[in-house]
Amino acid sequence: MHELESVAFSVLETVAADPVGYAVEWKRRTGRPVVGSFPMNFPSEIVHATGALPVIVQESRTPITEGRSLLPEFYCSYTRSVADQAAVGELDVFDAFVLADHCVQLLGAADVIRWAKPEKPMHFAQFISSMDDPWSGAQVRDKVASLRVEVEEIVGVTVTPEALRASIRAFNVNRHLLRRFYELRKTGRLRVSARQLQVLVKSSMVMEITEHTELLESILSGLELPSEPPDSLVRLHLSGHFCAPPRPELLDLIEECGVLVVNDDLYHGTRYISTDVPEDGDPFDALATWYLDRNVSAPCGTRVQRNVDWDSYLVDSLDDSGADGVITLMAKFCEPLMLYYPELRKVLDARDIPVLLIETEHEGLAAESIRTRVETFVERIRRQKLKVPTLA
Amino acid sequence: MTLDLSLSTKQSLDLSPTRTRTLEVVDKSNRLKSTSLGGKMVAEYWDNIFTAKERGKHVVWYNGTALNPIFQAAGLEWCHGEAFSARLAAMHLEGPAQQAGEEYGYIAELCSYARTHLGCAVMTQKGITEKQSGIVGMVDQDQLASKLPSPDFFVNAYAGCSTGQQWDAMTYRVFGKDFPIFNVSLPMIWGNKKDSGYLRGTEWEKTPLYVEEQLKKLIEFIEYQTKKPFDWDALSENMSYIKRASELRLEAMALCAAAPTPATYWDWVASIAPINFLPANQLLVDYFQAVKDEIQQRIVNNISAVQNERYRVYFDGIMNWNKLGFLTRKFAEFDVAVVAGRYTHDSFWQEPQLIDLDRPLLGMAQHYLICPINHGLKIMEELLLKRCDEYAIDGIAFHSTRTCRAMTNPQHILARTAERDRGIKSFSFEGDVADAAFYKDESLESGLVAMLESIDQQRAKV
Repeated sequence: MHELESVAFSVLETVAADPVGYAVEWKRRTGRPVVGSFPMNFPSEIVHATGALPVIVQESRTPITEGRSLLPEFYCSYTRSVADQAAVGELDVFDAFVLADHCVQLLGAADVIRWAKPEKPMHFAQFISSMDDPWSGAQVRDKVASLRVEVEEIVGVTVTPEALRASIRAFNVNRHLLRRFYELRKTGRLRVSARQLQVLVKSSMVMEITEHTELLESILSGLELPSEPPDSLVRLHLSGHFCAPPRPELLDLIEECGVLVVNDDLYHGTRYISTDVPEDGDPFDALATWYLDRNVSAPCGTRVQRNVDWDSYLVDSLDDSGADGVITLMAKFCEPLMLYYPELRKVLDARDIPVLLIETEHEGLAAESIRTRVETFVERIRRQKLKVPTLA
Repeated sequence: MTLDLSLSTKQSLDLSPTRTRTLEVVDKSNRLKSTSLGGKMVAEYWDNIFTAKERGKHVVWYNGTALNPIFQAAGLEWCHGEAFSARLAAMHLEGPAQQAGEEYGYIAELCSYARTHLGCAVMTQKGITEKQSGIVGMVDQDQLASKLPSPDFFVNAYAGCSTGQQWDAMTYRVFGKDFPIFNVSLPMIWGNKKDSGYLRGTEWEKTPLYVEEQLKKLIEFIEYQTKKPFDWDALSENMSYIKRASELRLEAMALCAAAPTPATYWDWVASIAPINFLPANQLLVDYFQAVKDEIQQRIVNNISAVQNERYRVYFDGIMNWNKLGFLTRKFAEFDVAVVAGRYTHDSFWQEPQLIDLDRPLLGMAQHYLICPINHGLKIMEELLLKRCDEYAIDGIAFHSTRTCRAMTNPQHILARTAERDRGIKSFSFEGDVADAAFYKDESLESGLVAMLESIDQQRAKV
C-alpha cells in the first residue's frame, strides 16, 4: 500500500505529525493570526474568510504532565491533552480560540485554557445539539452571527459575504478531493492504509486550505489505480473516535491482522469531510445549513435528532462498502460514545454483523493484547463467511 | 538462647475482617429532626408514581432541571431520572438497575445516574414486553428499580452537561422510539463578555428569553399529548408555593452562618428532593417552615449540628448518595461542620426573587440556566468565594465525582482560586453519585486530615 508515497504526501505527513509546528511556520511566513478551534462542528470557513489560519486543535502525542493537575484523570484523552498543552505553553502560537460544541469535557478543557491563557480571547457560540426542533435553524443562524462578530473582533477584519463565499468554495473543493480518496479506497482501486488517509484528513484540519488542496491534487494526479485488493482480506469499517484521531500504530496493527479498512465514520475521516457548505444563497446562513445537514449525512452520537440514527447510517454504510464487520474505537471516558455504543451493537447484532470494541487511551497501547483480539475477530469473520448453510 | 514460642502458638488467629475490629466511633453529628418528614414525603411521592398507570394518569419521564411545576399544572405524574437514580443509590438498591444497564452495554465509566436510569428503562421496557408476552420476570419481582411506570412521553431539559441530553436520546431509543420526546435546550452561561457575571450582563439578559420561548412550546407539546388545555393559573399557584418554600429555605440556610452551625450541608442534602421535584403545595412550604423553625430553635438553645465544631468546610461536588449517612458521621468525627456546598446552595430555586407569578416561565428559565454546572469558570469562582465569605469557610472538600464530569470540571482550578484569593485550604476525594465502587475511604480520610492540619498550622501563625 504505497500509492500515496510522494513529496506532496510527505509534506502532509509532516504537518499531521506536528500541527503546531506548521502553525508557527505559517504565522512567521504570513504575519497573520492563527485561530484555534475545537472538534467537531466549528465552521472553519468563517475564520478563513478573515485571512487568519483556522486550525483545529489536535491531541498532542506528548505525555500529559502539567495537565494532570488541571483536569481529572477520568477525562477523555483529547481534553486532557488540550489542558496539558495549554498549561505547558504548546498552544501559545494561537491568537484566539473559538468553539461551537458543548461537550462537557471539552468545556472543562476550554476553561483550563481561559485560566492558563487569560490574555487569549476564547469565544463560545454554543450550537444547539437538538437538531430537529422548530427553533434549531434560527438558533444556529444566531450563533453563526455571533461567531462572525467575535472572529471579526479577534482578527480585526470584516467578514464580507464575498470573502466567505470564496472560503466556502475553497473548503468544498478540499472536501471533495478528500472524499475522492475515500471513494477510491472503497472500490478497492486505491490501495491506501488507514494511517495514510488519516494523514490526509488531519493535515486538512491544520493547513491553509488552498495549500492543502494543491498537495492533494498533486497526489491524485500521480496515482496509478489498477490494483484490486486480494480477496483474502477481511473488509472492515472503523467506527467511533470523535475529536481525536486513533493512534496511527493502532491503525497499522489492525491492518496487519489481514484487514482491509474500506470505510469509517471517524471524525478524522469520513465524518469530517461528509458535508459541503451550500454555495448559493446567503453564505452565513449556509454555514448554519451545513451544521444541520451534517448530522443527516453523517449522524453523530453527540447530537439529538429523532429522524436520524447513527446505527442505521452505519448499517447503510456497511451495505455500501461491503464491509464484513465493524471495529468501534472508543476513546476512554468518551461519554457520547459510551452512551450510544449499546444501540450500535444492538443493531449490528440484529443484522449478524460482527463488531469489536477497542478502548483507546492517550498514553500506551496494549498492542499485543489488541492484536490478539483483532486476529480472533478477523478469524471469526472468516469462519462466518465460510459457513455452510444448514439443510432445511 | 532458645525462643519461647509457646505464647504465640497458643494464641488463636483472628481471621475476622479488619473492619469489625475497628473501634466504634461516636457519632458527633446532630442531624435536624424535621428533615425526616421530607423522607416520608419523598417515599409517598414515589409510591404514588408507581401506581400512576393504575390510576390512568399520563406519565412523563424527564431529566435535568425542575420542570415539575409545569407537569403538575398539566395534571401529569413526573419521574425525574436523576432523582430516581439518587434514591436507589441512597437506599443501596441501585444494583439491579446498574446490572441491567451493564448487560445492555453501558460501561462503568458512564455517568452513574444515566447508567442507573437507563438500566431502569431497560427493566421497565422488559416489563412491558413481558407483560405483553405473559412471561413472568424481573418486573414482577419486588425490586424498586423495576417499578417505574413506563412513560407516555419524555422531556429533556439538561443544563451544563452534554451527557444529559444524550442520555434521554438513548432512553428514547431503549423504548424503541415509541414515545414522543421534547428537548428544551439550555445554553451554557459562558460568561466571557466584559459585562458578564452572575445574574448580570447581556448574555444573562438574552438567554432566558430564548428558554422561555421553548417552555411555551413545551406547554403546547404537553397540551397535545394530554389533549387538555394547560392550566396557567395552576402554574402560577405552583410557583407561589415554590417561591415561598425557596425563601424559607434560603432564610434557614442563612441562619447557618452562625458558629457553631445549627444545621449542616447534610441536612440540606436531605432537603434536596422536596425542593427539587416534590409537588408544589402548602406541605412543601410547611416542610421548609419546620426546618427553619428547628434551626432557629437550635440557635436559641445553642445546639450545634456537630459536637465541638472546630472547622467549617464547604462541599464542592455532586452528592455521593451511597454515603450520605456515612459522610455525615465521618466529617463530624473530625470536628468538621460541612456548612454549605455548591450542590445545595447554588441549585434548586436559589434566587426566588426571580420568580414573577404573572410571568412564571421567565423565572423558571432563569433558574434552569443558573444550574451550578451551567456556568463558565469565572462565574463559578465568583460564587465559590461568595459562599466562602458568607459561611466563614476554613476549608473545601472537593468530591472528585468519578462519573460526573460536569460537576468535576473546574474543581482543580477552583481549589487554586480559593487558596490564592482567600488562603482557603482544600482537598479532593474520590467517589461517585450513584456507584459506591468509586468511593475510597482512605482517599477521603487522608485528604481531610491533611487539610485540617494545614488549617491548624495556618491558625497557629495568626
